[in-house]
Amino acid sequence: MEGGPESSAGPGPSHLAGGEDRGVRGRPQWLRVARALRSPLTQGRRISEGFAMLATLATLARVAALRRTGLLSRRGGGWGLWTGRPQSDTDNMKPLEGVRILDLTRVLAGPFATMNLGDLGAEVIKVERPGAGDDTRTWGPPFVGTESTYFLSVNRNKKSIAVNIKDPKGVKIIKELAAVCDVFVENYVPGKLSAMGLGYEDIDMVAPHMVYCSITGYGQTGPLSQRAGYDAVASAISGLMHITGPEVACLTHVAVNYLIGQEEARRWGTAHGSIVPYQAFKTKDGYLVVGAGNNQQFATVCKILNLPELIDDSKYRTNHLRVQNRKELIKILSTRFEEEMTSKWLQLFEGSGVPYGPINNMKNVFAEPQVLHNGLVMEMKHPTVGKISVPGPAVRYSELKMSEASPPPLLGQHTTHILKEVLRYDDRAITELLSAGVVTQHEVE
Amino acid sequence: MEGGPESSAGPGPSHLAGGEDRGVRGRPQWLRVARALRSPLTQGRRISEGFAMLATLATLARVAALRRTGLLSRRGGGWGLWTGRPQSDTDNMKPLEGVRILDLTRVLAGPFATMNLGDLGAEVIKVERPGAGDDTRTWGPPFVGTESTYFLSVNRNKKSIAVNIKDPKGVKIIKELAAVCDVFVENYVPGKLSAMGLGYEDIDMVAPHMVYCSITGYGQTGPLSQRAGYDAVASAISGLMHITGPEDGDPVRPGVAMTDLATGLYAYGAIMAGLIQRYKTGKGLFIDCNLLSSQVACLTHVAVNYLIGQEEARRWGTAHGSIVPYQILNLPELIDDSKYRTNHLRVQNRKELIKILSTRFEEEMTSKWLQLFEGSGVPYGPINNMKNVFAEPQVLHNGLVMEMKHPTVGKISVPENLAWRSLTLGSSLRNTVMEVCETSRILNTCREKVITIANLSQTKPGPAVRYSELKMSEASPPPLLGQHTTHILKEVLRYDDRAITELLSAGVVTQHEVE
Repeated sequence: MEGGPESSAGPGPSHLAGGEDRGVRGRPQWLRVARALRSPLTQGRRISEGFAMLATLATLARVAALRRTGLLSRRGGGWGLWTGRPQSDTDNMKPLEGVRILDLTRVLAGPFATMNLGDLGAEVIKVERPGAGDDTRTWGPPFVGTESTYFLSVNRNKKSIAVNIKDPKGVKIIKELAAVCDVFVENYVPGKLSAMGLGYEDIDMVAPHMVYCSITGYGQTGPLSQRAGYDAVASAISGLMHITGPEVACLTHVAVNYLIGQEEARRWGTAHGSIVPYQAFKTKDGYLVVGAGNNQQFATVCKILNLPELIDDSKYRTNHLRVQNRKELIKILSTRFEEEMTSKWLQLFEGSGVPYGPINNMKNVFAEPQVLHNGLVMEMKHPTVGKISVPGPAVRYSELKMSEASPPPLLGQHTTHILKEVLRYDDRAITELLSAGVVTQHEVE
Repeated sequence: MEGGPESSAGPGPSHLAGGEDRGVRGRPQWLRVARALRSPLTQGRRISEGFAMLATLATLARVAALRRTGLLSRRGGGWGLWTGRPQSDTDNMKPLEGVRILDLTRVLAGPFATMNLGDLGAEVIKVERPGAGDDTRTWGPPFVGTESTYFLSVNRNKKSIAVNIKDPKGVKIIKELAAVCDVFVENYVPGKLSAMGLGYEDIDMVAPHMVYCSITGYGQTGPLSQRAGYDAVASAISGLMHITGPEDGDPVRPGVAMTDLATGLYAYGAIMAGLIQRYKTGKGLFIDCNLLSSQVACLTHVAVNYLIGQEEARRWGTAHGSIVPYQILNLPELIDDSKYRTNHLRVQNRKELIKILSTRFEEEMTSKWLQLFEGSGVPYGPINNMKNVFAEPQVLHNGLVMEMKHPTVGKISVPENLAWRSLTLGSSLRNTVMEVCETSRILNTCREKVITIANLSQTKPGPAVRYSELKMSEASPPPLLGQHTTHILKEVLRYDDRAITELLSAGVVTQHEVE
């Protein structure tokens, strides 16, 4: 689709190249709506769907009105890529500036994704149910004031609108928001949002430009697809849990393995299957991970441990031999490691060229000079809790700096703001919705 | 920078909006080269750098020649975003089609990132050293033929060019490739590539549009930055190991290098963000991904419990969840027991409760529990070993195993959906009973399906994400070392046969006998 953002008139989203509002399969929106009305599926559900259609048409009309106000105009700057407008100056333009994300996810995977997108400049509108909001708000202790640290850890840089999506008026709000957003992310069990009128087909009808991302436990279809996704269960079924844990003494299977050709996956504790030594050793006051990837490194390790006799021992001369005589060798090394404190070993191993590192608890992690140097502790000011620290973004870019983040929102902190600024509702309409309980607003804005 | 891709003449990469080749700070390339020649830094190293400059100018001249041949033309189709040309028809256009990636990474994090980008349609040129190539080619057993399964697992959809980058002629080739690539990914210890003339400054000079992603252990600067990055060490320092393992036992590592994989995923996203940024600004950028930062960022609530809640982290084994299925376990007396009435109380009296439940679970086989838990609404699932994972109907349904034909190993085949033909069933399974509260059932129903053993060793996990507007096409197999050297020199850099023969004789590059 060549041509700039304004290359043809029409009511479609002006950000689409070509201007006219073309749906996923390239047909104009009005035609798709008309066809949907005619389709057998719709005929079968005609009465209830009739109301839904009216609501959709109302939404479309509203969106057209929004466009006429110039809210979605892409004239004068911008790239015609997104629905939103870049928030900051071009000196520190971020990749996703101007991208607006409608975030219906809860708990961890979804919020973690949208948080990372927010770090790159996207505007994230977090939709929560009035009353409880995202489940993790209550996942504690620990709490700081009213906020659970769990919630605080993955929800920075987002605005919270509290909307009851079981209410058709709430669904209407979501659809209007969708029309002016670029991305829709959700993590409902497949089918649940469709039943509420917010499935991909529904959103596609009002916002054919939408990048609709569905995060589920197992996928959209298939035998497990109706199960809610729990990390522990998914990690068990997908094999991660099986291969994590202390060493098991014997293999439980002799069956041929698919992926690695010879043996079933097993647990190795901290050890490596085919490099010895390469694992954690207990010290007097903790644990130290040490690896010897070749004979030279092994010799260095032996020298540091003051066990030079091991270097020329025929049982340990090559990695292959060390693997074969693993138990005996590890026993000798372990005994020696336990004789000193971790800090002593860290001194002795410094500059040796051997890979090594302590098993850090959280306190040690956030005291590591390199962690501080990398700026991995991000501070921000929370409206009720005060100053909080969370792990910051993992990646740095030369052409942009990670700006100060806005804190995780209180439940419904931005409801009014969003209805007013994004959807241009007037005060009367907002008051009605608040009274009806369709939306709620936090006392703190 | 408004205007289409062809809006002004000039020797610059035509894919840049505005046409002319503008460097990072917006000044034309020739000017930047001239200034660099004049700078005090260069004067101090003038003699050796003089040669480097000549080489750079030669490269630039060659790139200009390439452009004149129309190789980098963006006329007639495409979006003006990338240096490469879209490979396939628009019916199944992929997000990264036309993107060309110069991949100098080795082992796991980097190759995993570029593999994922390749799945989205990018062309990945994997640069390997002649002789050994990527270290993981030799990481085994297990091997299948000459290929280690480790290597096979993360290197599909790539072309291999074997180049000796310690040789200046090899460096020249890399720079020429960089000029016609969109992304440069590497995982050398900071400073090493600069010393060879392939650092960001060097690549930026010949390819100011470059999205240059550096993957390291700890970052570009700082007290640990000169250390090579090893997953086990990084996962220890970054806290992951401390929180993994049995409740009363020693720390363990996750069974696969999660820190490496998290870093690879971050790089995958960051590179795409870099490409978006370049589309907007017209210039390239440098990306710093490292194991330490990626893993610390992934600590999320565990870190924040400490940072804000002052609660140190500990290990929990497999413990999770607050729903206890008393009825299914036939322990109704627990329901009203005052010690276990709320989650808070169950947490307090955890040891005793878990003991009772564990004793009960051990009395039955996993398959029995799977039946009983089905449809209960309680979250449950078996701890699957690899065989069980790839017999899971949902896994097969999701098309998570990919099929391709390897030139020497043969068919690496796995069905895209519910065809059972390429998986194996082994001898009887003995699933260990899970430690806490979880069982599963699904596996046994598929155990009756028979599958050929010949193919079983050569399957690998497919792309994790599916998109509505594009389908995952058949992948090309992981390349043999230097399988595409000649092809790349000829088709991408337009070297003639004589030049290629010279380089081969001099050992600057090597070509695998299989093409």
